[in-house]
Amino acid sequence: MNKKQLILAGLFILSILIYYFGHGSIFITGNEPMFVAVIGVSLIFFYYIDRARAGEDIYLRPIAGLKAMEEAVGRSTEMGKSVLFVPGISDLDQVETVSGLVILGHVAEMTAQYETGLNVPVSKSIVMEAGRESCKEAYLRAGRPDLYFDDMVHYLTDDQFAYAAGVNGIMVREKPAACFYQGKFYAESLILAETGNSIGAIQIAGTGSPSQIPFFVTACDYTLIGEEFFTASAYLSKKPDLIGSIKGQDIVKLLLMVSIIIVFVLNGFFQLNWITFDIIKFLTSH
Amino acid sequence: MLLKRQLPLFIMISVGLVTLFGHFINNETIQDFVNNDATQWFDIIASFAIFLGALNLLKLQLQKITRKQNNWQYSILAVLGFFFAIFAGFFFRGTNFVTINSFNIGHITPISQLIADKIGDDIVSIETKLLDSEGAFEIPFIFKLESSATELSDALSEFGVVSSVDSKPWGSHLQTKGSLFYWIFTHIYTPLSATMFALLAFFVASASYRAFRIRNFEATLLLLAGIILMLGRVPVGQLISGWFIAYLIVLFSSMVLTPFISNKKIVLGIILVGLGLVTVAGFMNGWNVDQPTFLYIPIIQEWIFNVPTTAGARAIMIGIALGIVGTSFRILIGIERSFLGE
Repeated sequence: MNKKQLILAGLFILSILIYYFGHGSIFITGNEPMFVAVIGVSLIFFYYIDRARAGEDIYLRPIAGLKAMEEAVGRSTEMGKSVLFVPGISDLDQVETVSGLVILGHVAEMTAQYETGLNVPVSKSIVMEAGRESCKEAYLRAGRPDLYFDDMVHYLTDDQFAYAAGVNGIMVREKPAACFYQGKFYAESLILAETGNSIGAIQIAGTGSPSQIPFFVTACDYTLIGEEFFTASAYLSKKPDLIGSIKGQDIVKLLLMVSIIIVFVLNGFFQLNWITFDIIKFLTSH
Repeated sequence: MLLKRQLPLFIMISVGLVTLFGHFINNETIQDFVNNDATQWFDIIASFAIFLGALNLLKLQLQKITRKQNNWQYSILAVLGFFFAIFAGFFFRGTNFVTINSFNIGHITPISQLIADKIGDDIVSIETKLLDSEGAFEIPFIFKLESSATELSDALSEFGVVSSVDSKPWGSHLQTKGSLFYWIFTHIYTPLSATMFALLAFFVASASYRAFRIRNFEATLLLLAGIILMLGRVPVGQLISGWFIAYLIVLFSSMVLTPFISNKKIVLGIILVGLGLVTVAGFMNGWNVDQPTFLYIPIIQEWIFNVPTTAGARAIMIGIALGIVGTSFRILIGIERSFLGE
């Protein structure tokens, strides 16, 4: 163990001790497992961010959907058509929308570099403002602020199906060559993706809504499934801080997998009456 | 730069940390902030922001019309719809109703007849309601125009009825059955929304067709699982016996074996032996339609739904949850600032 690991382990134990001695008076009783999880996960993230900052080379597996983004923008440029970006129908209080806007920034940078039109219809006013800011900075970063105009990110409606109808109208009339669906989606996902498919656009979707993933997988060319969608920012920006946190995320996932196996084995032993310790009861009672 | 970058970042990080640790700190003020205030603040900000969206929508549509851009005709509809909804919501209540304050009991039949004709109700029902009413009786009909309500009131006065014309208060007119806004909701908004939603049925069919096309092993598995799930959830699936599935398995197995056996007689022999074994086993064990249970379609579909599907869905959900935790963490400590434009 090196010095940093010792400090982090010490911090972990210290925060748990503080919670333990303060529970009931300063801290809420019953939330201990969640507190331990939050602190533990945070420290793992910190550790790997620190390692990435120190210059450690971290491997990110290739994600086809993210690689295809530039290809999709390039295709639009060749065809002389615009790119359509749909950031979902939720507001900025959803992490998926934030992730969608992060990807929008990268896509906007590409469209600025390729001098391709970008159309971003949104269903929430706050998302419109945040999206505009994101695009503006992306065009500036790409050295093409002259190509940016506010109305490339425009408001349609707050209503779910009216929004779907509006976006479908844009697709059918303007026939964009590439459609991006990145954000939180509900029942409108298939309506959008199937219309995009019918106009022959290359489609890349990404969402954190588990129930919509099958629809996107069926109708889109590429789909960012689950955590892939949330790693897009790190993957596209290549910033060490962000890549380090992705590594931390993978370590937490590994720990979760080990925990699942341990719980499975212990529960099996309990079911067979080999041990008296009921792990399921222990976990659910806390 | 301070107002555009540092200040939003500071607010975001501090509010985020307070909200996170609010789940652990035993303090009523913080709890109240986490559970009520924070969400209410968001709602208030979102409500103000709606003006930005509405103005942007209007600006773009008017631009399209004035510059006669492609498909500008649709924009006329959009602008008209926009102002029509504003008119119905803010300027025109359309919730007029007539209240009968007193009437001559001797004229109850013509009064009831008049009201029933006007509002399209049953005369007996109106009579009963009039007799049961103690004091004022509000005619259960909303007139969009005040003149229509006054017309009825005047007609009633010919029978000695003392009545008044009133209107529902502002705000409640949005949910009053019969108001103009309510009419827009039920006659325009709801059918249009239902139409869009109904399109899903066709899109599901076309998407399923593409997904179920047999291209490779995975697509074949998907097709098989899809067929079993569909059959298992409809009544006809319960009529397909385990025997039938066993016969199908024998036939399918021999189909797989065929390329490896050149002598067709041997293949035929395998099929006949297989079918015979299933038949003998069925008769000896006295299989019913749902036996053997592991070959009964409703049982298989239940297993597919509860075991492999749930396992896959949970794996994806764990990934999503970790992704959300990771993204939230990056935002909280301020290393993820792309959505602020950095």
